[in-house]
Amino acid sequence: MTATSTVTPPMASAVRISGRAPIARLTWLLARPSAQSAAVLVLPAIAFAVTTALMLIVLGGALMFWRWTPDETPDSGVYQMLSVLALALLLVPLASLGGAAARLSARRRDDRLATLRLLGATPSVVTRMTVLESTAVAVLGSLVGVVLYLAAMPLVGLIPFAGAPIGGGELWVGFGVLALVILAVAALAALSAAIGLRQVTISPLGVRTRQSAPKMHWMRIVLGVLIIAVAFGGLSAFPTIGDYVVMIAILGTAFAVGVAVLNLIGPWAISVAAKMSLRRASTPAKLLAARGILESPKAAWRQVSGVAMTSFVSVVAGTGIAFVNTLTGDYEADTFLLLADVQTGITITVVASFLMVACSVGVNQAAGILDRRDLYVSLDRLGMPREVIEKSRSRTVMSPLRFVTLGSALIGAVLVLPLVGISIVVAPLSIVTIAGCLVGGVLLVWLSLKATTPVLTRVLSQPERL
Amino acid sequence: MNFSTPSFPTNPTPPTTAFSAPAILSGSGLVKTYGSSTALAGVDIAVRAGESVAIMGASGSGKTTLLHTLAGITSPDSGRVEFQSAAGAVDVTAMNERDRSRLRREAFGFVFQQGLLIPELTAIENTALPLMLAGYPRREAEGRAQHWLAALGLAGMEARRIGELSGGQAQRVAIARAQVTGATVVFADEPTGALDSATSDDVMSALLGSTVGQGHALIVVTHDETVAARCSRIIRLRDGRTDATAGVAAGSTGTGVSA
Repeated sequence: MTATSTVTPPMASAVRISGRAPIARLTWLLARPSAQSAAVLVLPAIAFAVTTALMLIVLGGALMFWRWTPDETPDSGVYQMLSVLALALLLVPLASLGGAAARLSARRRDDRLATLRLLGATPSVVTRMTVLESTAVAVLGSLVGVVLYLAAMPLVGLIPFAGAPIGGGELWVGFGVLALVILAVAALAALSAAIGLRQVTISPLGVRTRQSAPKMHWMRIVLGVLIIAVAFGGLSAFPTIGDYVVMIAILGTAFAVGVAVLNLIGPWAISVAAKMSLRRASTPAKLLAARGILESPKAAWRQVSGVAMTSFVSVVAGTGIAFVNTLTGDYEADTFLLLADVQTGITITVVASFLMVACSVGVNQAAGILDRRDLYVSLDRLGMPREVIEKSRSRTVMSPLRFVTLGSALIGAVLVLPLVGISIVVAPLSIVTIAGCLVGGVLLVWLSLKATTPVLTRVLSQPERL
Repeated sequence: MNFSTPSFPTNPTPPTTAFSAPAILSGSGLVKTYGSSTALAGVDIAVRAGESVAIMGASGSGKTTLLHTLAGITSPDSGRVEFQSAAGAVDVTAMNERDRSRLRREAFGFVFQQGLLIPELTAIENTALPLMLAGYPRREAEGRAQHWLAALGLAGMEARRIGELSGGQAQRVAIARAQVTGATVVFADEPTGALDSATSDDVMSALLGSTVGQGHALIVVTHDETVAARCSRIIRLRDGRTDATAGVAAGSTGTGVSA
């Protein structure tokens, strides 16, 4: 460097400018752990890891049934059909967990990206950076997920099907499916990042400038009922079903319709329930929780919707099986095994879907605390007791969860009311098992919520850092 | 908006004559260090009821730490903070976390730079929150909150969410929240830091009228000389000590303290 009396800024012409932003370099620069906590990258990575591991285990189980042949297992067709049903049931919570991970990874970058926009980065640069980073985090997370999956295989392999433990090796999906799952997770992350970041790229100013709470239109329920009516009419057009493939197709369609309708009605129902509790709210925690849900009924629904279908199906199918099981005692051994296996399958599906919901609740809550850290710190300074913050956080998740679990279980129970009555008398254990699964699931979500308390404690114990 | 004749809801605390009264809040020999850096190196301060005190100083001079220490948000390494509560003198520094939290909730009021109101709550819900935390029924809490909002020129905006308010309006909601419980000491950390000068002037008037005008004490951390000049006293900090070379007296324009 030569000594000069005046500082001359480097002339633009002196540097060769390619006109293209070095996306990868910029992304790496911004991705390095800095003043912001490492949680920014670690949390979504964990979420992606859990998503991948659960997806692989579920797929492994389903694929196992599809390898069965009628020669070895006479009812293999039934198993295969039911495995598709279970897959479909788990698709919703899995997608919402994956979505939570992807949104988290995208949302955590909002502030920096908005700044980049202000500095003159074009929307496409910002979008490509986000997509690149989210995808990298997703791939990394899903590789960890593969390890988790391999570690869990022997344990899951202890579950008995067709009279014997399935064995860990049976759950191996093969390298092809493994690669596909990682690709799918990466694609989900990339897509979510691209969609989620639109607001930031549109306006460099203000990421959180939402002014009014979204309104849920009552037309949702009308539309929902209409869709059910049309679908029901359509389904009854198939009089007899012989082929498994046709049956699976119909089941799949019925499922897709059911999920679509639930997604239409769910947020609306949650917002109605929250409005009612807002009016009645007598304590700060209840008020905060109700307002928190109304802030985004869709997000509240998304978080717990995974258990809606599961809880419905587990009550209907579980009761049905319990009833059939006790109807006559002199079954062939095969049929008896099948019924027992269906019960096992229902239990697994319920547990898995609650596990996924619990994971996404944990991820969302941790992200929520980090997002609102200055608000929580200021509330703490104002003297708001920590229990109030905790209670309101808990209510914001648990009341929609209870509402959805109980609601769909009740609807299911009403549909098979006579069977429920009989089963309670003749097969109390089965009914207790179903109820126990649901209660256990709710408890699991609560635990995952409690697991995020240290994040709040850490945020509040370091107010000086603000 | 004219705040020279404020009609704020009356609070149970009677106005005290300034300067003759004993200190309502005092700190003596306050020392606080963060790692190797010293934020407070032995500060003595006494604030009387009906008085407004501006704490000024460069960044890192310890002004926010002083405010937090006086308010019981942080504990000093040594020194003592004493608050004259309705029930008698209390040693804030000797209290545990839980009691200090309760003290802040019930006896103190806070106004921060960004308001830091809860975005999903409406103006009236934000204002009523301290009363609800103190155990008031919601209806009663919201009734009182409404009076305060009206007194601060926010009538008709009760049901608006914070995002629907301007910066100045949001700060007024914060002021209403700080005074709704009748707090005898209000702490403000750069209350006008995010506002333009005209709005800043309005908000400062509202803040002074609703605190000092009620016979309560106001402690403001600011870097804005105009804001400081409106307080009855300025304390300047330099390297964690009160700066003896700085002028002590400030104009008492518009505070009504001299009455």
